[in-house]
Amino acid sequence: MVIVSIILIIIAIYLAAGFVFAVAFIVKGVTKIDEGAHGATWGFRLIIIPGTIVFWPFLLNKWIRASKTKEE
Amino acid sequence: MSASYAAVGWNRQKKIYDWLIAGFCTSYLVLFISLSLVFNEQVTFETLLIRSTSTLAVLLLHVILAIGPLCRLNKKFLPLLYNRRHLGVTMFTLSLVHGSFGIFQFHALGNINPILSLLTSNTNFNSLSAFPFQALGFLALVIFFLMAITSHDFWLHHLSPKVWKTLHMFVYLAYFLVVMHVMLGVIQYESNPVFVIIIFAGATTLVTLHLLSGIKERKTDNRQFALQQQGFVYVCGVKDIENSRAKIFCIDKERIAVYRHENKLFAVHNVCKHQGGPLGEGKILDGCITCPWHGYQYLPQNGQSPPPFREKVSTYDVKIVDNKVWLNPAASAEGTERPGAEIKD
Repeated sequence: MVIVSIILIIIAIYLAAGFVFAVAFIVKGVTKIDEGAHGATWGFRLIIIPGTIVFWPFLLNKWIRASKTKEE
Repeated sequence: MSASYAAVGWNRQKKIYDWLIAGFCTSYLVLFISLSLVFNEQVTFETLLIRSTSTLAVLLLHVILAIGPLCRLNKKFLPLLYNRRHLGVTMFTLSLVHGSFGIFQFHALGNINPILSLLTSNTNFNSLSAFPFQALGFLALVIFFLMAITSHDFWLHHLSPKVWKTLHMFVYLAYFLVVMHVMLGVIQYESNPVFVIIIFAGATTLVTLHLLSGIKERKTDNRQFALQQQGFVYVCGVKDIENSRAKIFCIDKERIAVYRHENKLFAVHNVCKHQGGPLGEGKILDGCITCPWHGYQYLPQNGQSPPPFREKVSTYDVKIVDNKVWLNPAASAEGTERPGAEIKD
């Protein structure tokens, strides 16, 4: 029970961090990593929130790489 | 394709599809709840909701898993495939309602976290009659959740088609978990064997359909092409290919679609860049090869999606000698223009 509790707490922290990231990502990040997001509707931005919360490290990595490429 | 994203890519056909899904689901729920109230007046609202949404979700899951093999066996089922992801999201929503109310009714009224209670309150893993079947349903729900949240094309593009497809193939594990969830749950809560019989019949139907479609595809893939000439392989007669349609040939383990368009033959790689749909099972619409799965389009002469889209597939050389079609299985780079072979009457 203790192990399961610890795993659930870790998942909750991971998802909470994902939620914070998702807010910034749908406002700014999504257009940095995908040209298709330019001019995309807010409905689209809202619909990708759950996925962003789950896959946030992957998207953060893409965002950082896109920013570096732009700087170069 | 690659233009600006929308939340939902609705068109007339998809709207009709969605209205039919909504109409069917509403009718099913109304009928199920009405009949339950007629035959069991004591039934509670929570129980009605848990049972009606679960049975409908299981039914939709069977339909979803049957669509793929049915389309491979008969093209008439292709319209069902066109908007399958909306059917999947509907199935997930119903599963979520079922799971949420189940967790609320059985695990949320104590002083332990409901999810923790779900995963730890029953640890009889060695007992078939007391197995923690709810945990199996929860795991299936997690898989459906991951599939639903990645159903938008944005995720297909960023996760890559290979990873996306692999993730969505977990639906078969989820199906197994659902079958076990139902079977073990029925053992513990029901004396009527009808649920077991229905789920067994459903699983048998799905296995049979997958086997039949697999055998059919294997026959096409195993065809031997004996006649060869300067890198070209004889595949069929010109008359074997209908106008605006294609025939698919598997040479050296690569599937190639040979299309007939405006009195010419063109060959492209058979696999759509979107979700790996079989381009050769589509048709030419507005001068473009149109994937039968989700309508992605490619120009037959160069395998490129028309602007502003940017998808490309490989093209191949094709020639006609004495009304016989010869195909060179060496692929040109994706999007390379090929002249095609002119059909002389």
